[in-house]
Amino acid sequence: MRWVGGFEFYGLMKRNDIIAGGMFIALGLFIFTQTHKFPSLEKGHPGPDLFPNLLAFLFIAFGAVLVFKAGKLSPQNTEPSFSTPKKISNALFVLGIVAIYVIVVNKIGFLITSAVLLFLLMKKLGVPFAKSVFASILITLFINLLFSKILRVPLPYGILGW
Amino acid sequence: MDSILQGFSLLFNIKVILVILISAIYGLFVGAIPGLTATMATALLIPFTFFMDPVPALVSIVTMEAMAIFAGDIPAALVRIPGTPSSAAYTQDSFELTKQGKAEMVLGVDVVFSVIGGLIGAFILMTAAPLLAEIAFKFTTFEYFWLATMGLSVTVMVSRGSQIKGALSLILGLFLSTIGVDITLGYPRFTFGSVELLNGINFIPAMIGLFGVSEVFRSVMEGELAYPIARVQARKIFKGMWKLCKRFKVNILRSGLLGTFIGILPGAGADIAAWIAYALSKRGSKEPEKYGSGSIEAIADAGTANNSCLAGAWIPALVFGIPGDSITAILIGVLFMKGLRPGPMIFERQPEILYAVYLSFILANLLMIPFGYLAIKSSSQMLRAPRNILMPGILIFCIVGSFAINNTIFDVGVMLVMGILGYFLEGNGFPVAPVVLGIVLGPIVEKNFMMSMIKTDWDMTQFFTRPISAILCVMTLLIWFFPLGGVLWRKIKSRARSRR
Repeated sequence: MRWVGGFEFYGLMKRNDIIAGGMFIALGLFIFTQTHKFPSLEKGHPGPDLFPNLLAFLFIAFGAVLVFKAGKLSPQNTEPSFSTPKKISNALFVLGIVAIYVIVVNKIGFLITSAVLLFLLMKKLGVPFAKSVFASILITLFINLLFSKILRVPLPYGILGW
Repeated sequence: MDSILQGFSLLFNIKVILVILISAIYGLFVGAIPGLTATMATALLIPFTFFMDPVPALVSIVTMEAMAIFAGDIPAALVRIPGTPSSAAYTQDSFELTKQGKAEMVLGVDVVFSVIGGLIGAFILMTAAPLLAEIAFKFTTFEYFWLATMGLSVTVMVSRGSQIKGALSLILGLFLSTIGVDITLGYPRFTFGSVELLNGINFIPAMIGLFGVSEVFRSVMEGELAYPIARVQARKIFKGMWKLCKRFKVNILRSGLLGTFIGILPGAGADIAAWIAYALSKRGSKEPEKYGSGSIEAIADAGTANNSCLAGAWIPALVFGIPGDSITAILIGVLFMKGLRPGPMIFERQPEILYAVYLSFILANLLMIPFGYLAIKSSSQMLRAPRNILMPGILIFCIVGSFAINNTIFDVGVMLVMGILGYFLEGNGFPVAPVVLGIVLGPIVEKNFMMSMIKTDWDMTQFFTRPISAILCVMTLLIWFFPLGGVLWRKIKSRARSRR
């Protein structure tokens, strides 16, 4: 399993390590472009910019080490470790569905939006139709009871009041 | 004495007992299901603790984590998948013994030695924390700076796999902690005009994203896991345990102390404790050849260590406000939310809360005997819980939990972004725990450093000349140079050998 040794994938990631290292270096450089606008303390001592600058430097330094080390990995270990089209579509589906949820929940209301999200996701993961309908309604009502009735969280109920 | 009695009365009321029972079942369930970790369980628990009084809030975390770390052993023994990373070290041994028809003995050892380990940890917590609190009263910004720096160093040193990646995860956490208004001038950093970001990234949705949503992503990528589950006769699990306890009494003591110590080290948690205890156990064993192919001694050692580690991690969290592992990192967030500032002052002003925590550690571990038995009895049902229904349920829980803290959809967005971040980090071999420790330790390091510098008008010498500060500085340097020294030593040795 993924975490059993924690080591299994480390050899497989030459390309991914180079990309990740590059992204960290880019983040470091980006921080520098922001911090030079930060004000200093009196007498010119560093203030709000000190800590972010240090971190930016570390991002670049460690990112460079990561890229350098990945460059030395043997090329037969360069295959990416996962990602088949179906798995990626599942993940993108989750991402998309939560993003849509965030946008519409205030208008349509918690109960309907949640039940629909649950149903679509269960269908996508291969749960039979009737079971998906039943489970998504049950989970939605349970969460509504827990958060809205017991913990008194003002969940958004939208224009229909649901 | 008064506060001990008060602690008792805080703990033993119907509401708190109910919280304990529910948290116990929750912990067992989450621990036993592969892919759901104790840290994730804590993250999902916070929205509830938000609405509780301090004592039930803390007690629920104590009970849940103790049960979850034990329950992680169940699938390790029955299906060869650790329920939480803390059981990974001895999963192979557990399953090999199950194949030899000794599943009952393995699970018995899992329960009994978890209980003993947990009790050792609780005992050390009760004795060491008040003593350390006395010392902590003398701490100023200089000492806290070093302590937090020490925590950062340990976090990197103990990251499994690549330390470079551990370091980058940590730096990322530190960077996330700088978002929002800075402490010296009140200047908004990296907020890009967003009002919501002025107070920084909200800790709770960030945790739910990093540990909960990322797990949902991973699960939908992996698809349904189907595995054969070994059968066990739960009533036989306690048979012969007394004899094993006597046989492994030295192991118990060694691993209990080791586990607690690793817990106390800021940044190292129960999974690390289990791995180190396993390695030490093998080195000290009379039958090292059995390790990996079914050693009950290995399970006894590592199983004791990971549970004793839990209470150990509460020591720096309560005394200094420096987390001992990723669970206590979240705990510190909960303490602040409850208006309790972790630090020596709690020991003086609210000792009854601490006594309630100590007692709950003892109670939770004792409860593990009947609850562990029940969990093992119902293990095959628990392990068959359909993940394709469970995961959507967890996702909606994450969403509502993130929303509930501030009643804002913005926080759900934070949760989603952190979930994607956590998923990509872990998928590429970057550990996620250092990110949390970075988020918690970042403000402590920065605040104490800046305050010290402003106090002394940028005179650095006090960091090295104050007695406690100097000791902490030396300890931090030792942590840095210890592995380096090890590498050098091995090089010298191998060179000497090649000359021979």
